[in-house]
Amino acid sequence: MKQETSQQIADREMIARVVQGDQSAFRALYDRLVDPLYSLACKMLGDEVEAQDAMQDVFVQIWRRAGNYDPEQSSVFTWAILLTRSRIIDRLRARGRRLRVVAASTDDADIPITAGDASVAESAADISSRNESAMRVRTIMANLPVEQREAIDLAFFGGLTHHEVAERLGEPLGTVKARIRRGLLKLRERMQT
Amino acid sequence: MIPEEQQDQAALYALGLLEPHEATAFESQLSANAELRNVVRELREAAGSVAFAAPPRTPPASLKERIMREIAAEAEERKVVPLRRRPLSWVPWAIAAALAIFCGLLAIDRARLERQLADIRGVDQLMQTTFFTLAPSAPAPADAKATVAWQAGPQSGVIRISNLPAPQPGKDYQLWAVDAEHKDPISAGIIRVDKNGVAQVRFKPVETANHVKAFAISLEREGGVPKKEGPILFVGSA
Repeated sequence: MKQETSQQIADREMIARVVQGDQSAFRALYDRLVDPLYSLACKMLGDEVEAQDAMQDVFVQIWRRAGNYDPEQSSVFTWAILLTRSRIIDRLRARGRRLRVVAASTDDADIPITAGDASVAESAADISSRNESAMRVRTIMANLPVEQREAIDLAFFGGLTHHEVAERLGEPLGTVKARIRRGLLKLRERMQT
Repeated sequence: MIPEEQQDQAALYALGLLEPHEATAFESQLSANAELRNVVRELREAAGSVAFAAPPRTPPASLKERIMREIAAEAEERKVVPLRRRPLSWVPWAIAAALAIFCGLLAIDRARLERQLADIRGVDQLMQTTFFTLAPSAPAPADAKATVAWQAGPQSGVIRISNLPAPQPGKDYQLWAVDAEHKDPISAGIIRVDKNGVAQVRFKPVETANHVKAFAISLEREGGVPKKEGPILFVGSA
């Protein structure tokens, strides 16, 4: 297993204090997580007001379920991201809105960012390591083969199952599975270098 | 080296894309393969990082205060529930105590249990309580027990579970009320067992259930689902 970063250790300590009912630790955890979680919610829901409602739901869940966090399975950050995604997919399913959001998602011009994009360079210069990681991921994602990025994008942001992704792209299921796997493996490899 | 097909499954599992039965099958492979668990963890981290591809947004400051107010209220309620409740606040605890007695006697002597219940029902506040014994079915262990005490008036109940191991990672047990007036079962929340496989939880269905015919527990994705998807582990009527 990859060595934990100091931020990941700090996150775990915060979660441990939240389990004990420490509201100041929860406040710190909120500050640490809210921007990426909110950005994800806005992207998936396409509505800032609804994204704020989703955030309230997600952070209350984090407060109630901090004791369920298992460091063997993921970092705190990833746990929170996947929890957010799951809660939002439930919202979308409940409202029968998934396909509309997916359509918006695939048309979103914000996603493909090339390594040479000026806005990328400006952001990377002046903000924290978390934002540097974000920039790195966006660059890696932007440089994935388009078919891999498209499959991951539909699955992750659109909340589609792999069967639905295959249907939507008009590709065989095995092809879609392989694209998702290759894309994630590349992301993992490039994040580790 | 993990075969490609298993890596495909690992990637889909990390993204939460597998169907429930596929996820269950994959989890059985996971439990026996440390290398595969490691791959899943790394793929899960990669999947989590995909979120960074969303255009950055910052929420209004008021959101933090809104959430902190709710958290503070929950924390306060946890501390002072026994002291701040209205005069009838001891009723759920009385139900819970009666339920504990009920569960213990169930395995030994049903007839004796019925007499106990008759005694319990003699207490005014419990007159409106209906008890449901839920029978386990695979994959729940055969000796697992679940009993529900339900009050239709206040639309709340208490469930007690024993001998039920914690679900696999990424899963939760979810309670459902089967109501004659609703097409689909109504969610009554997530039930978490402790390390001894025991849970005793108060619940309230998310919709009004005036004619509950049965309660059921299913195995669902972590955090629960709005509409039942996973296998039923317990079901029982009054």
